[in-house]
Amino acid sequence: MALFPLTSNFEGDFVLQLVAVDTENTMDEVAAAAAVHSVGRRVRARPGHILRIRRQGADEFLPRTMKVADSGLKPTETVEVIWQMPHG
Amino acid sequence: MAVLNRMDWYDLARSTNWTPTYVTEDELFPPQLAGAFGLPQNAWEKYDEPYKQTYPEYVKVQRDKDAGAYSVKAALERSRIFENADPGWKSVMKAHYGAIARGEYAAASAEARMMRFSKAPGMRNMSTLGCLDEIRHGQMQLYFPHEHVSKDRQMDWAFKAYDTNDWAMIAARHFFDDIMMTRDAISVSIMLTFSFETGFTNMQFLGLAADAAEAGDHTFANLISSIQTDESRHAQIGGPALKILIENGQKAEAQKRVDIAVWGAWKLFSVLTGPIMDYYTPLEHRKQSFKEFMEEWIVAQFERALTDMGLELPWYWDIFLKDLSETHHGMHLGSYFWRPTVWWNPAAGVTPAERDWLEEKYPGWNDTWGQCWDVIIDNVVDGNMAMAYPETLPYVCNMCQLPILGTPGKGWNVKDYPLEYKGRLYHFGSEVDRWVFEQEPERYAGHLSIVDRFLAGMIQPMNLEGALAYMNIAPGEMGDDAHNYAWAEVYRALRETRKAG
Ligand SMILES: [Fe+2]
Ligand SMILES: [Fe+2]
Repeated sequence: MALFPLTSNFEGDFVLQLVAVDTENTMDEVAAAAAVHSVGRRVRARPGHILRIRRQGADEFLPRTMKVADSGLKPTETVEVIWQMPHG
Repeated sequence: MAVLNRMDWYDLARSTNWTPTYVTEDELFPPQLAGAFGLPQNAWEKYDEPYKQTYPEYVKVQRDKDAGAYSVKAALERSRIFENADPGWKSVMKAHYGAIARGEYAAASAEARMMRFSKAPGMRNMSTLGCLDEIRHGQMQLYFPHEHVSKDRQMDWAFKAYDTNDWAMIAARHFFDDIMMTRDAISVSIMLTFSFETGFTNMQFLGLAADAAEAGDHTFANLISSIQTDESRHAQIGGPALKILIENGQKAEAQKRVDIAVWGAWKLFSVLTGPIMDYYTPLEHRKQSFKEFMEEWIVAQFERALTDMGLELPWYWDIFLKDLSETHHGMHLGSYFWRPTVWWNPAAGVTPAERDWLEEKYPGWNDTWGQCWDVIIDNVVDGNMAMAYPETLPYVCNMCQLPILGTPGKGWNVKDYPLEYKGRLYHFGSEVDRWVFEQEPERYAGHLSIVDRFLAGMIQPMNLEGALAYMNIAPGEMGDDAHNYAWAEVYRALRETRKAG
């Protein structure tokens, strides 16, 4: 349990934002924390989509249940938060 | 008594170099301050200033300029131009004064460094006058806004801004400290006068003078035109120095300084001048778009100044040309969304008519920045104001200190340019910002951005209240929508019509 800062690069938004998460948070929780600062403020919600996390420039998403502590992400590292159609 | 013509004695009178015997040349001109670039003193004596003026001539001309600007101000003082001005125009003045006025005093000290430490006598002469110019600019741009301080607390930021930790001021100081406060005399001449003043101040002052005249603010138009006449003279200090460097095999070093300064100036103008020209200035008073202005002043004119000098276009010119259509839209959206953290009231500038103009000037605007604004507009129309404000910090660049941003919506291309240096992870807004850092990491590595300070616990409590206190934003100074959201009425009406139809 420790506070962990990440940088959110949210699909469709215009700016990187600081997002405070916890080392125990899963990638789904990271995505939800990032969404608070983008969705409904400058990005429209996309019904039927979920949000996935990947390292900047990576093709693969990090597993949804992976914890921040196990992800190898560095404090303030930028993650891309990407809309995805489940099973799509 | 017959008086010699100026040109019969000027060269002789300003040849003030001598061979020191009590001290060494390095003691007289410490290399860190003089910036001799390994060239002997006599190489610098070839410096030939393009603009030769004597002190009595200077005083006479400056006196007339002051008399002109001050008498326009006095004549119009009772005209209630300020009271009746469009709120967007007031924001232009506030942003300008806060970002510029005290910077002029700082520029006086940079000019003073050239005046004392340059090995080129001609440069010392020109920057003596340049230093006096900058003192004049500082004084005028504090005196002129002062009459409005009692009417509007935000006008106090003309004086106050420079001493605060407001994010925009941290950005401005970081840039000016880099190009003029912490460089040797020759580098100042290249970075401040040649790179920044030739290209960018021209643009800020000529562009604003035109907009001010259009907006009916003749006091402001006269003030900045008056300043501009000084700038166009002392901006020429760097040219002959560049020539000497290039002739003596120092082109690469000269080019690097130009490239660094032009990029930083561009970023600062993208946040200061871009929003002013394309969003704050009332639509009917807009002469040209920011991009058109940049293309005329920087691309056409400054490009020629560079190549005439024998320099190359900066290596990042293609990136710069592309960013001309993008960066300032993000800077505007950012300073609008984080409006409580600025000392002026940003005008949204996104009515349907304004959006048509933006779409015409920047094809694709509605599908990109417009998509973010659609959400903001809905929230304002619905009265869902909590969602029309931020709850976290934007991540800022460790070089320009401005938000790291890109194109949103259908053109989404936002990207971080990270760099790990001595165990610390730095973030940059572009390849160029990162390149600047890499040129001299130790010069920049110790600086903390506003986000770094927040994470280090220097901003307490860790919320908006704490951030505003840290940025010295007192009650009554915090920015909000310039028109108190009146522009949203048209969207409300559109929605009603749609419902009815
Ligand atoms: Fe100036
Ligand atoms: Fe100047």
